[in-house]
Amino acid sequence: MGVENPAEQAQILLRTRLCNPNFIYTIFSDSPDSNYSKLKYIMSSSVTEACNNSALLLGPRGCGKVAILEMVIKDLLQEYPDTICVIKLNGLLHSEDNCALKEIARQLCIENQLVFSKMASFDDNSQFVIAMLRECGLAHKTIIFVLDEFDLFTQGKQRLLYSLLDAMQSVTSQAVVVGVSCRLDADQLLEKRVRSRFSHRKLLFLPPSQEDLQKILQHALLLPTESSLPPQYVAAYNKKLLNTLSDDKFKDIIDSLCNFDATFNHLLRFLFASVCRMDTKSGFLSLDNFKTALSSIQRQPKLEALQDCSILELYILVCLRRLEGKEQETTNFNSVMKEYKDVHNSFQTTDYYARNVCLRAFEHLLQRQLISLVDNRGHSQSVEFRPVRLLISSHELHQGLKAYRSCPAILHKLLDLAV
Amino acid sequence: MGDEGNPQTPRRTTRASLSNTPNPKSSTGKLKSCNLLPLTIHDLAYGDESISFNDLISSLPGRRAQIIELLHLLGPLDSPMFPVFVYGGASTGKTSSILQTFKHLKRPFIYCSCITCYNPRILFESVLNQLLLHRRNESNHYSSAKRCERPSDFVNLLQEALHNVVDSLKGNVEKSSSKKSVGRARGKMVYLVFDNLELAREWDKSSNILPFLFKLYDILKMPEVGLIFLSNDSPDTYYSDTGYVEPVPVYFPDYTEDELRQILMKNQKNPKLYSSFLGVVLRPFCRVTRRVDELLTAFSSLYQIYCEPLDDLGIVPNEDMKRKLFSHLQPHIGPSLNETFKVESRLSSEASANTNKWKGIAKKVGVSESSNEIDFHMSACAKYLLICAFLASRNPATLDASMFDSTGGSNNKKRKRSSEKSKEKKEIAEQELLLKGPGTFPLERLFAIFQCIVSVSECLPDEEAQGDGGLEGESWTNGLLSDVLLELSSLCNANFISKGGSCPLEGANRYRSMVSEAMALKVAKSLKFPLAKYLYRGG
Repeated sequence: MGVENPAEQAQILLRTRLCNPNFIYTIFSDSPDSNYSKLKYIMSSSVTEACNNSALLLGPRGCGKVAILEMVIKDLLQEYPDTICVIKLNGLLHSEDNCALKEIARQLCIENQLVFSKMASFDDNSQFVIAMLRECGLAHKTIIFVLDEFDLFTQGKQRLLYSLLDAMQSVTSQAVVVGVSCRLDADQLLEKRVRSRFSHRKLLFLPPSQEDLQKILQHALLLPTESSLPPQYVAAYNKKLLNTLSDDKFKDIIDSLCNFDATFNHLLRFLFASVCRMDTKSGFLSLDNFKTALSSIQRQPKLEALQDCSILELYILVCLRRLEGKEQETTNFNSVMKEYKDVHNSFQTTDYYARNVCLRAFEHLLQRQLISLVDNRGHSQSVEFRPVRLLISSHELHQGLKAYRSCPAILHKLLDLAV
Repeated sequence: MGDEGNPQTPRRTTRASLSNTPNPKSSTGKLKSCNLLPLTIHDLAYGDESISFNDLISSLPGRRAQIIELLHLLGPLDSPMFPVFVYGGASTGKTSSILQTFKHLKRPFIYCSCITCYNPRILFESVLNQLLLHRRNESNHYSSAKRCERPSDFVNLLQEALHNVVDSLKGNVEKSSSKKSVGRARGKMVYLVFDNLELAREWDKSSNILPFLFKLYDILKMPEVGLIFLSNDSPDTYYSDTGYVEPVPVYFPDYTEDELRQILMKNQKNPKLYSSFLGVVLRPFCRVTRRVDELLTAFSSLYQIYCEPLDDLGIVPNEDMKRKLFSHLQPHIGPSLNETFKVESRLSSEASANTNKWKGIAKKVGVSESSNEIDFHMSACAKYLLICAFLASRNPATLDASMFDSTGGSNNKKRKRSSEKSKEKKEIAEQELLLKGPGTFPLERLFAIFQCIVSVSECLPDEEAQGDGGLEGESWTNGLLSDVLLELSSLCNANFISKGGSCPLEGANRYRSMVSEAMALKVAKSLKFPLAKYLYRGG
């Protein structure tokens, strides 16, 4: 690998960093009032003082809830080796009680070198878990339950949550339950009997502030001086990057990025797309890379789909829009065809095609999700009779027609007449 | 979907079908080679030699920018990546671009399409089979390597399988650093490609399969795994209630006219001639559709017509010749623009000797509606049933008595009266018909109308019997109900008549005619049955 060009090596390094949340979020481990410190305090107190604990990490998707939690767990595992056992569940996978309990039992068996029986029933598993909780409590071993997508665990009867929390209260156990959810009202979803057993510690995770953003940018993109990369290249790269970062145009780019979605994940995705576009010949990240990355990340799928339409498909969209303008209650393919025919009769358009060709175009529009069937009932009815509606606003249609190359002038006129 | 226009592109499914389905080809010629050689880790990448970057670009005209973007996102060897979401309309070369790119890179990957893997279990098992280098064959009773239905089991098995694959890839890299060999997979990343993701949305409304797939990267926590999703629908159509971690989008726009020209020009025997042909037809057709698959079908028959006046197909046309060919083709362009596809009539394929003559006739049938031939064979009984169903769907049930009580005399009066009605009312009724579509009817009503019509047509001079055989006519009018029911069920199977849900009050099934008026009139004409007289025209 050493023989490759340093730019490529640097690119691999940057990509590895961006894809590794543990690296990105390490900058938050220093400050005392960060979520990291709070969470670590809660969890380590449970380990050292042999008590039970529970907490919820709430916040929008992509704000580093899981990453921070993983960092804390990693640190704790280093600080207190052999006294912590981590069980990880995910609401997407284990929202069903039976399946979740089985998974807990499985992970407990792996951690403690026991033989796991696939055939064990719900009852067996729940007794096993309670027994394990007691044993671990007696041995002063802490079990940490991580429940990702916590809100999904609250669907159904919440038997799992209840039996876990109940066991923690009645048995001399030593366990921490950490729920992670993107729903801020996750604790309200709990049943009364579960809620009363839950300590209401909530940590809120928010998108990064302006300062944090700058810190992350430098943290993620600056190349390390001590590495296998040639020092002259690293110096030149870092100088150029710092220049770019302080550029006003770059700040504009970041602003428009954050206006759209200010979460860490969005930022990382943007940085990833920029790094991917890095020119490996020169080996520097230029402002252009960031610009193209921004436009490739922030897409407008509906407008793109409009550009993909054929002229006949545009006609159908405009006719549908006109019908909506007339405030007809329901529209379907037949009424669109009637409108299309009327338009043809009054304006003598050149693009007048047979019904079956129009039906094909209509089906293309359905496929492109520019229009959709109103209801899913009436499958026996053929598509021409089922009511449809536009999925784009007339403003979007206007914009799309304007951007369309060689769009017939008559379409603009028809649309204007409708509005 | 995807690899249109360049038929020489080897389809990825060949490998998938080798490993997943009993392929007739493999069971004969390739039996030995495919059954005896166990799959190795190198089979995860495309075998044989890789293609150069230039070949990659030239094999997919008009996709240069997208391929470069993909290559950027995949990055240099052994670099981790965020999940990528490739989207774009049907037949824009998404699948072929991805597969050809991997052929170029020669990196190990597995490919699953939600078309063939049509439920979560099959998808999971297909992924695992490929990763575990398992081939379904006779000796293992075509069973999968692992049985797994739930996402939770899948994640555990997948993690295990991926670790094994990545480990052996790493060992492979160390070994191959000393000596380079051709057929080897490069790098220690494994890529999972999920095609036609939009179909997974329909699988199960309540299931979490899509959020799960989008989050798979975070759940696995393995930097050695790259995820690529292919979809017809744009990312905004996947939003679910609590959202998901969005992948990096890559957009494949539809081909422009110039790109279409490049694609269609590929592999033409006589490029000059074809280019002059495209010069005539491409622009008008692009106004209707820009999909390669649809254009190809339309152009293949038009090109034959274009070439008809030529004796030598290798000729390089001059201006004069082009003009002549154009004037020959021009009358065919308009009709061809107005048809979606054409089923060649059976007659034309049978009469191979005078193909040209028959084709002319077949074409006429497809285009002009004045012709009273129908393109398929149907028994007279089925034709009558078709007409009855059409009438039952169009006419209000309350009018049946007045329509069919005597032999047509009364409904002449009816028609006169209805034409006197105000035009407005008629229009409203027409509008309603357009919006509501054909109505439903119970079986009894169909048979009642059938009885009436058959009795009427018996009174008519029995001409149609000549065409359909007099004997046949005899047997069904005498009313073997089971025969009629049989005909009805075959009409239902052919979707001429659709069988709806049962009515909660009456309990019996309700039916609905699916044929258009033009079609019904055509069928009636072939029976010499005066259908128009029985149609209630609103108002």
